[in-house]
Amino acid sequence: MKAFPKFALAFVCLSLLLPSHGRATIDDALSFALEAADPYVKQGFTVREDYWGGDLPVKQQKAIVHQLFKGNEYWFWMGTDVETARVSVHIYDSDGNLAEVEHWQKPHMAAARVVPKTTGSYYLIVEIEKSDRERTHWSLAYGFR
Amino acid sequence: MKYRDSMLSATMDGRSKQGMQALWVLLVLALSPLARAEEPRQHIDVGKLPQQATLVEDVIVPVPSEVFGVLDKLGSPNWHDVLRADLPPVPGARPETALLLGDVIAEGFVAVEAQDPEQVKKIGRSVLDLSAAMGVRKAVIARSNAIIEFADKKDWPRTRRELDGALADVKQAMDELHDEELAQLVSLGGWLRGTEALTQVVNRTYTKDSAGLLHQPALLDYFDRRLAHMSPRLKSNEVVAKIQKRLPEIRPLIGEADSDISQQSVDQIREIVHDLVIAIAPPSP
Repeated sequence: MKAFPKFALAFVCLSLLLPSHGRATIDDALSFALEAADPYVKQGFTVREDYWGGDLPVKQQKAIVHQLFKGNEYWFWMGTDVETARVSVHIYDSDGNLAEVEHWQKPHMAAARVVPKTTGSYYLIVEIEKSDRERTHWSLAYGFR
Repeated sequence: MKYRDSMLSATMDGRSKQGMQALWVLLVLALSPLARAEEPRQHIDVGKLPQQATLVEDVIVPVPSEVFGVLDKLGSPNWHDVLRADLPPVPGARPETALLLGDVIAEGFVAVEAQDPEQVKKIGRSVLDLSAAMGVRKAVIARSNAIIEFADKKDWPRTRRELDGALADVKQAMDELHDEELAQLVSLGGWLRGTEALTQVVNRTYTKDSAGLLHQPALLDYFDRRLAHMSPRLKSNEVVAKIQKRLPEIRPLIGEADSDISQQSVDQIREIVHDLVIAIAPPSP
């Protein structure tokens, strides 16, 4: 075996053994968000196949604008792959008033439910409240019925 | 609970059971992550979001199912009247193909509402043809087949889910090909046809609630921004240029957060989006 193939093989093996800190961790975060969603699917919520995610330092919020429709009910589920992290997701209306009717936080995940009083723009505020990592991967999914 | 009591009784001799129960409850609450949950602020200053949040550019464009789901709850209009008879052929220019792809997927939702399996199947095949023209056929083959299969079985909820999925798959495949701008045109084409259908339905049985579904300022601003930042090559396309010119005309008609959208405004919105949909999907001569 020549030197290059050996190096390439070693690289491939290392790639498989070492944890990847990019896409994989966001996907791991998503798996927790979807785990949070699971009980609600049984209640008739349709989970959208798209998801949103990234990484954030502790206490830095991220706002995502979402068009919500009166007549629907929504659950937003946030997940993280970091076991020690505490994450949160909250929903505000276009005037900045808290719009969610309930929320919860658990290890690896958080969720909030909204029944929009009006059709329009809402702000989803996601935050890493606590984590032992400099930046923490998160992912957000949602469902409606 | 009984198990917890017996554990406490066995390990904490000499203390009252009641007191220990209270201690146990306090301990559980203190260790529970729920107990540590911070209560959200009741109000945020949305005007200051760019300072406190790293990103406000992100706008989630809803899937058509979200709108059609509400329309389902509002009543059952005659969707056959809204359904388009013809499906236009694949255009030559890629921006127009992308717009038409979104338009045809949105048409699929109308066909599902009309519970017209033959039209849904035609749409499934058209989605495949248009995706092939965009170079993303492989990404939607499974969806297209599923749309046809579920329409054949008249399984409308699953057909609708597959249409949502087709839209997501097409956009993802185009993003992967670095055709993000064209992917945005797919979304825009879908939104325009969906809005046209919505105005048609709302106008027939006008209520304030149903007209309220048109209050979509964030989406309008989002599409407006996306068009403004598109490459000159795309912006020079005749249909794209027309959309960019007419889209801002809708903004004053969709009202403010607390105001109602009048039937006259609904009609004006319908005229604008109909004009744009005709540009995307010209009717057969």
